[in-house]
Amino acid sequence: MAVIELSLSGQPKSPRVVGIDLGTTNSLVAYMSDTGPEVIRDEDGNGLVPSVVYYENENDQLLVGEAAREALIFEPRKAIYSVKRFMGKGSADVQEDLSLVPFKIVPDSEHVIGFEMGHRVFTPPEISAFILRELKKRASRFFAEEVFQAVITVPAYFNDAQRQATKDAGHLAGLDVLRIVNEPTAASLAYGIDKSNDAVVAVYDFGGGTFDISILKLRDGIFEVLATNGDTHLGGDDIDNRLITMIVDDVERCFNRSLSESPEMFQRTRKAAIQAKHQLSKDDHAIIEIKSDDQHKEYRREITRDEFNNLIADIVERTLVPCKQALKDSDLAPEQIDEVVMVGGSTRIPLVRNKVKELFKREPHLEMNPDEVVALGAAIQADVLAGGRRDLLLLDVTPLSLGIETMGGVVAKIINRNSTIPASAAEMFTTWVDNQTGIDIHVLQGERELVDDCRSLAKFTLKGIPPQPAGLPRIEVRFLIDANGILTVSARDLRTNQEQSIEVKPSYGLTDDQIEKMLLDSFEFAEEDVLKRQLIEARNEAETVMRAAEKALGEHPRGLIDENEQLEIRRAIDDLRQTVGTDASQLIREKTTVLDEKARHLAELIMDGALVAALKNRKASEVAEG
Amino acid sequence: MADAAVNTGRDLSCICAHCGAAISAAHFCPECGKIQMLGPEVDHFQFFDLPRKLNVDEQALEIRFYSLSREFHPDYFMSATELEKRASIERSSRLNDAYRTLRDRIVRITYLLSLEGYKESEKKAPSDLLEEVFELNMAIEEIKAAKRLGDADEVTEARLSLETALDNLQHKLGEIDGKLAQASQSWDDAVDQSADQDRKTILDRMSELLSHRSYIRHLVKAIQEEL
Repeated sequence: MAVIELSLSGQPKSPRVVGIDLGTTNSLVAYMSDTGPEVIRDEDGNGLVPSVVYYENENDQLLVGEAAREALIFEPRKAIYSVKRFMGKGSADVQEDLSLVPFKIVPDSEHVIGFEMGHRVFTPPEISAFILRELKKRASRFFAEEVFQAVITVPAYFNDAQRQATKDAGHLAGLDVLRIVNEPTAASLAYGIDKSNDAVVAVYDFGGGTFDISILKLRDGIFEVLATNGDTHLGGDDIDNRLITMIVDDVERCFNRSLSESPEMFQRTRKAAIQAKHQLSKDDHAIIEIKSDDQHKEYRREITRDEFNNLIADIVERTLVPCKQALKDSDLAPEQIDEVVMVGGSTRIPLVRNKVKELFKREPHLEMNPDEVVALGAAIQADVLAGGRRDLLLLDVTPLSLGIETMGGVVAKIINRNSTIPASAAEMFTTWVDNQTGIDIHVLQGERELVDDCRSLAKFTLKGIPPQPAGLPRIEVRFLIDANGILTVSARDLRTNQEQSIEVKPSYGLTDDQIEKMLLDSFEFAEEDVLKRQLIEARNEAETVMRAAEKALGEHPRGLIDENEQLEIRRAIDDLRQTVGTDASQLIREKTTVLDEKARHLAELIMDGALVAALKNRKASEVAEG
Repeated sequence: MADAAVNTGRDLSCICAHCGAAISAAHFCPECGKIQMLGPEVDHFQFFDLPRKLNVDEQALEIRFYSLSREFHPDYFMSATELEKRASIERSSRLNDAYRTLRDRIVRITYLLSLEGYKESEKKAPSDLLEEVFELNMAIEEIKAAKRLGDADEVTEARLSLETALDNLQHKLGEIDGKLAQASQSWDDAVDQSADQDRKTILDRMSELLSHRSYIRHLVKAIQEEL
């Protein structure tokens, strides 16, 4: 299964860059093979890794993916899912999202949300990092070499903080994130890579938690995004929630339990709702079936596709608003769109397909697997960045306008939405009062006029301006949105032509210090690292105990213990020695404990009588060594 | 290098940051072939090697934009030196900015005016429209009031008169765009003939047309919101 590639040219092989679709519901990793982009699958052929993380107390380890998704049903309190909805947000932003999920955020989450899992608090980037780590592991196993560079996709309508949070997650997972790529753009790459004709393409991307629309012009291998729009709070999760809301009263009555107080029951209901949703994409009716723990009670309800369509009509309608805006922004009529490409699991819903067909007046393309197309596109972009090809070029745009706060809480736009990135703007700043040495700049993202209606990105403070009369300093501040859609700011004193120092206070998200700390923590915590560390510790302890026991046996004054006891200690030592070479850290620990107990009596006897009492509860190892 | 300075009236000389060769405002160093940091003195027209004229072949501009994108884009500088990476991101962001500005006639004229030292045009009502504007504002107030009161007949009536006004304004916008196209041609002719004395008149005219245009567009938007 693993692929080993030889470099025929003798040149050092460029490092592997994989493409990762970090989804709300599922995540995937793909790579560029000789024949085209391919999803990396497990032994059973599954490409999807459910974006669920579960903390297991007993072994102090994390489960990610399918195992975590299964555990979610039985122990929902220890699992986190749909974490993408919380990336780059503060507690005030997510009240609506929290109503969709059974987990709670910890207090003091204004700037970065914290989730409690197994008595530890994790931020969304950390949880996403666990998922990324799983994908990284999968890719590394596949290539039989460590993969450490990746392209990660995000919804096109993600703001700066959400993009930064995704990049942070990659960093925490030990990945060098070469590029953040917009999901619909990636999908268009996968769709358009084999096509030679010029076309205007609309990508309708309706996923588990977000909705995006992007309109692109494909010409000679250039994929130019003309406009993008979306809603980062709209996805399959909302549809699931509609179904749950529809049946919640009946389910609670049937089992005589409140769903909000029983996460297990909630998860079972959620699972049944999702199954019914999937069924309704194929059949014109479905049965929602929920059983109690003991299987004695059962809730059953039929739902027809018509009922379902009515239930979700307004959700589907909400996706059309951004579509119309994107058409307007790209100055195109629906008739001018040559192709419509459908992406994301929610586009399997017949009503969604019908509405899209109605709006664009053409049959949407359904031939691409809506779950995989984004990851495949990411793999193509990864190949471009690895230097594999120069015939393709993505020209993406920034989804939201960038502005700065001016007098009276009004936002002055400096980079308009749908500007091709990288995009930059320069603004001149000066002082208001004599001898002022600092200037504050508040940067926001959004389309509205007032500061309160836009999304605060960060406050930048220009520091160390030499004291001068008011209005004399001339400081040019450059705002640059890079190819990832992430803002960087630099400033220069035009009088001295010196780089001006800037202090950045991001409004949401992690600071560099926090990330550093998390990186350290994650080394202690990462599942693999933990297992490795546990094994090493177990072996070390076993060796110490064995050494001590042997020493005690060899040195003890004759007659201190009888033959039988000696034999038992010897047997315990041999037993442990046989186990210590294996990877079974738990077994090593158990046998170490056995030896420790058996040798304790001897150790106590060896020690001076006065010490015996004090050392009663201590280990033989400590006794012998100390 | 001397030629460039003569042609544009500006000194565009700079030094290649990679190999130290003296070069003009070229995108790449002719000596070592590496991408250059931006010089501060190049305007969007110069960036595209275009004269400062308003009739631009938009198709040719697009093709040039694509081919320069292929040369500058950060995607192709992933394993380059830090300096080249910076130059790539600077130059491609500048390219995007220049293309965005030059590809649209109105944005192009606005940009030319700013290059020629004109301040951003304030919204100003054309004098022949003053009376109409007054009536329009009344009509907008009327429809707002009718909507508030839920008076369906009144709303329908006000809507009809607004729709007529809207048609009228759209027509007016078309006229202004025609006049701007004429003025653009005059400007290009003046540049070709080095008729410097005509330039100021043409620029004043375009500046006025732009302020009328933005006024009317503002009105159109206000009406569309009510309809």
